[in-house]
Amino acid sequence: MSNLVQRLLSWWRTPKLDERPVPKEDPIAKSSLATVTAIFSLLLILSLVWALYEEVWGLRPWISYQREFVESYREVLIDLKPRRGEEVQAIQALPGYQELRQAVEEAEREIAPELAEIETEEGLVRRQLAAISKTFTTERSRLQAAIYLLETASDAQKEGLEKELETLREGPYLLEIPDGDGNTETDEYTYEQMEEEFNSLKARQGELQGNKVELLREPTRRRREMDAYMNARLTSLTETQVDGLISGLDNFRIEIKQIHNPELGLVDRCESCHVGTQEPVLLTAEAMGGGSLFISHPNPRLLQIHDPESFGCTPCHNGNGVATVGTIEAHGRYKHWLWPLYPTENSEAGCLQCHEADRYLEVSPTLDAGKQIYYEGCMGCHAREGFDPEPQQLRETQRALIDLLTSKNETQLQIERTIGTADRAQTNQEAERLYAEADALTMSIAGIDTEFAHLQAREAGLMMAFKRVGPNLKEVRVKLKKEWIPEWIQNPHDFRPTTKMPRFRLEEDQVRAISAFIWQSGIEAELPRQPSGDPVQGKTLFETRGCMACHSMGEGEEATGGTFAANLSRVGEKANYDYLVRWIHNPKERTLPYCPIHEREITPEDYASQGLPFEFDLEHNQCPLGDHLLQVQQPTVMPRLRLDQEEARDIASYLMTQAHEDAEYAPAPYLDDPDLREEGRSLVQNFGCASCHEISGFENEGKLGTDLTKEGSKPIERLDFGLLTSQAKHDDWYNLKGFFERKLANPEIFDEGKLKEPLERLKMPNFDLSPEEITQLTTFLLGSVDSKFPETAFFQPSDQRKEIQKGWWLVRKYNCVGCHQFTPGQEATVLEELPLYQDPDWREQLPPSLVGEGARVDPNWLARFLKNPALEENNLNRNGVRSYLQARMPTFDLSDEEIQQLVRFFAALSKQSIPYTAPVLQPLSSRELTLARELFTHTAAPCLRCHATGDPVTDRDATAPNFLLIPERLKPDWTERWIVHPEIIRPGTNMPSGLFRQEGQRWVFALADVPSLRNYDQDHAKLMVRYMFQYSAAEQRRLTGRR
Amino acid sequence: MDWGQLWEIVSAPDNVPIVAMLFLVPFFTWYGFRQALANDRLIERLSKDPELAKTHHRKVEPYREGWSQKLYVWPHLLRVEFLAAIIVTVILMIWSITLNAPLEEPANPNLTMNPAKAPWYFLGLQEMLVYFDPWIAGVVMPTFILLGLIIIPYVDTNPLGNGYYTFRQRKFAILTFLFGFFVLWLSMVFIGTFIRGPGWMWFWPGQTWDHHRLVFEVNRDLNEIFGIVNQPWVGLFGAAAVGLYFVVFGWLTHKLFVWNDFNRKIFQQMTLVQYLTLQTFLLVMWALPVKIILRLVFRIKYVMVTPWFNI
Repeated sequence: MSNLVQRLLSWWRTPKLDERPVPKEDPIAKSSLATVTAIFSLLLILSLVWALYEEVWGLRPWISYQREFVESYREVLIDLKPRRGEEVQAIQALPGYQELRQAVEEAEREIAPELAEIETEEGLVRRQLAAISKTFTTERSRLQAAIYLLETASDAQKEGLEKELETLREGPYLLEIPDGDGNTETDEYTYEQMEEEFNSLKARQGELQGNKVELLREPTRRRREMDAYMNARLTSLTETQVDGLISGLDNFRIEIKQIHNPELGLVDRCESCHVGTQEPVLLTAEAMGGGSLFISHPNPRLLQIHDPESFGCTPCHNGNGVATVGTIEAHGRYKHWLWPLYPTENSEAGCLQCHEADRYLEVSPTLDAGKQIYYEGCMGCHAREGFDPEPQQLRETQRALIDLLTSKNETQLQIERTIGTADRAQTNQEAERLYAEADALTMSIAGIDTEFAHLQAREAGLMMAFKRVGPNLKEVRVKLKKEWIPEWIQNPHDFRPTTKMPRFRLEEDQVRAISAFIWQSGIEAELPRQPSGDPVQGKTLFETRGCMACHSMGEGEEATGGTFAANLSRVGEKANYDYLVRWIHNPKERTLPYCPIHEREITPEDYASQGLPFEFDLEHNQCPLGDHLLQVQQPTVMPRLRLDQEEARDIASYLMTQAHEDAEYAPAPYLDDPDLREEGRSLVQNFGCASCHEISGFENEGKLGTDLTKEGSKPIERLDFGLLTSQAKHDDWYNLKGFFERKLANPEIFDEGKLKEPLERLKMPNFDLSPEEITQLTTFLLGSVDSKFPETAFFQPSDQRKEIQKGWWLVRKYNCVGCHQFTPGQEATVLEELPLYQDPDWREQLPPSLVGEGARVDPNWLARFLKNPALEENNLNRNGVRSYLQARMPTFDLSDEEIQQLVRFFAALSKQSIPYTAPVLQPLSSRELTLARELFTHTAAPCLRCHATGDPVTDRDATAPNFLLIPERLKPDWTERWIVHPEIIRPGTNMPSGLFRQEGQRWVFALADVPSLRNYDQDHAKLMVRYMFQYSAAEQRRLTGRR
Repeated sequence: MDWGQLWEIVSAPDNVPIVAMLFLVPFFTWYGFRQALANDRLIERLSKDPELAKTHHRKVEPYREGWSQKLYVWPHLLRVEFLAAIIVTVILMIWSITLNAPLEEPANPNLTMNPAKAPWYFLGLQEMLVYFDPWIAGVVMPTFILLGLIIIPYVDTNPLGNGYYTFRQRKFAILTFLFGFFVLWLSMVFIGTFIRGPGWMWFWPGQTWDHHRLVFEVNRDLNEIFGIVNQPWVGLFGAAAVGLYFVVFGWLTHKLFVWNDFNRKIFQQMTLVQYLTLQTFLLVMWALPVKIILRLVFRIKYVMVTPWFNI
């Protein structure tokens, strides 16, 4: 240390330049720079070497990666080979394979002599051709050149050239042609002879080859059969294929592996490092050296759908596909790359930019769940393309209707004026012209009326389809206990942790004001008093009618049932019994209809003032005060189970017992304080309550939040991290993912440390989302991007797949998946997983799977069924098809458009064409009728034992649908397939398989030998189908002997 | 103290030349001055000792027996230059290997970067825009800088100091240059790089560049301080103020010209044209720091306000 100080001091005390002792020799002329120059020259060379290293390896890490890959992959393959060999041998030992091999050998043996003959001759011809062709082709070229010369020569030269040509033609050419006995024959040929010989040999050769192919056709076919047998049983590659891969590795070229798709402007070099992604052998991290660098793509099916050669990698995964210099660069995880690789947990975000129009994709559960959460809550405040289009369409339709009315009125006025002018006209001619004009105008009014009716029908449909995220708050006075409201608003999650209603940042007095406004703006009405029902019966109904496909019961861990709708554990603490009965009976029922034109509820007085009865439903939806439609239904997705009043009372009574015993609510007299009303109104507006709820005076409120359609492409600078900006940068979450995740976990986080007036603070409420839900939503938001790819790259099919896309939106909207399965790959339904249905007896009570529904039923019937699943106008308290099911197919009050959409969806899922025309079946002859009856009622297969008949007594034991519906419900070809192979169409069905066996080209009843059928030489299954399609109530009476 | 932020600025590939400049410029200034001061002492000794001056042939060291009388460009100069070329090449090689060009994301016309900074060599000009209208800072001033550098040989009437380092013989020229280079150019580049953050606000080094920062800063025109708000008085007042500046600073500059006997000698060799040209350029040069001080310390925006232009 002191040494250093001394040196520093001595340096400081260095004498000034001119005071230093003068050296003996001239320092400039004599001093040598050799050492310094040598050192720096060396450094220069070293830096050159460094540059070269960077050029060759440093900036090309993939070179060593690929070397590593070849090594590990070779080991994997060598390891795999014997195992593959074993499998191949095992298959070869199978009797089926042996049989096929024998067939191959036999066929080969059969043709062997002929084949040998052909091959011998072929060899000879080949040798003969070889002997001729060299001379012949040489001479031909010479001759052709001579001809060309002659053609282009001047007249003077022609003569000489002609002679020359003649000499060439004459030859003679000496050819040694071998014959079949091993001798050669030497002969002289002219050119022409030689040509002839050559051509004939060629022709013979072609003929022989053709014969050979013809001869080998049978053995080749057999061999192909044998190979197909092998391939069908192989789980992976054969030994030979593995060998091929290994030898392929010997010629592995170390180079940039690039995918280029000019249409997308895509250049992806990801596979330069991730070499094993597409290899046909499953490569695990373990086998490939521990890292994930060389593993196979985790979902090879996705690669089959999206061929990597045209889709590349970055369209789905993001990242910088061009970069090859290092992981950070290639993954785009640096400040200036706008499309960084999606993190593993958000990787499904990549699906969205092309599958924007899809509501459901089998392979993206996370994204799908994110969409569901968005649909159930976020959508209220945040617009996003594709979500919630109805309000917008409804407003447009209503505006168009108003315009039409105005123009109609104007036209009418004009007609009156025209007629008036005509009446006062000076001349007859003038009057006639004006009357004609008035007539034309009257005609145009008819046109307006047609358009009006059309638009109004559309409006009615949209009003049915339009749903709100939350319940209608106009009903609070009849629906809720007053004291409960402020407690709920304060923190909904306290009362019901799983609720979709979020927690707002409210002060105590704000809660009071909001509650007061909501309470006071509610409709005052007296509901009919309901006698109490039987809670025990209610509990049974609640658990078996299908309520639990959407609703759950039980608190915390004990909750069972669906999460689509509310958990009803404590509903008894908040609800009014009378209202609950009405709600369960028909959730769509309103206390008063709402008129969007007058912007208020229409009261009985309004009806009375026009002398009309106070009656409103889907058929009576005209406003008494004008020519427009009323909103006559609650905007809820909750369907009607078509229960009778008694059942509704039972369930309501049961629900009313669902309450904490010690539940106590402080009295809230301030809810009636008119002074709080105005403050409450402005708070309701400020916090956007009406984005999700129907509230008086706020029916047309727009969306409060940011449009999130392109949120995943927002420049990071546009996201306000508030005072946390530098912390975010420092802690490395200054990116979209970091923002979304933190904002969703704690929506007020970016207000941290800011001094703001209460109403200026961030408004987004807290949904208390679980980390899992946050990941799902973040995935959805990250994927909501402004795509840089052309529209043609998106998945926007114009064929039936489009109907599937659209259908899923509805299926999810009404939670059809709570009860039904639509595609084989779909996860289990909610009901399927309920404890109740684990009992084998109850499994039969599960709602039917709808896989293949489009192929099964007549679409016209399906539309009728969806409109009214009871299939009867008066007797509603039943299932139309499966009357034996406890669970009820609800009435969803779908709009016509939605019904048609669902019908097309089912047809498209089963690849059925629409419109459907039922085929005309050949009527049964009287003999056939007798035979069919016999078969139908045969003791070996008594159809009516399981199938319902519509008779309440017998139907108690029925476990299968009613035959009476068949003619209009089913499609004949499907019915035939079904009775022949029920197990294939629906594995696990109760319908017995093997009713028919194949005999030649026809199906024959298999369970018993029916004597009368012995002479019937037609298809028995077809006979049954024809019989069933003319089945009627009369026929049934005849068979059962009952009336 | 936000060290992370400071490090981010210092280590940005864009700013490497500026950080290097912070060390290299003082070093070479010191190095030049060391030689110049040594020469000055030698000159003093020679002028006191005419005998020594007679035998003295070289400018740095007194003549010695055995020393060459002349040194040639080849090899004595060129070999040093060759060595320098090698060293610079090595530095450039290593620099270019280790630091890549700072490419950024594709330009987004809807989103301008903040702060938006010119390349480092233009940051001085950009900083001048704070103090003057664009036409002055962007057109007039750069023109004067270029012309000023061009006219130096034509207004320099000092015959001494050619071919060797000296301070004493060229005090005026050296100090004027250092003022222009250090105070008016390098310090402006420094401010532009290290001081100016988002919104071109003044952040002390180490202060966090907060995009949401709000500061209270009101700038006035000089005439407003004096309560003059109406034209033409505003313009006339401004013209008078500018005129006053020219008179006062012209007089002060003249005082520099005749500071001591040596300066007076030089001054006497000047023609009137040379004198006026030099005065003009110097007055424009002084105007910059004056305006900076007026702006940063006294919060004065314009001295002269006219309907057509402002100064």
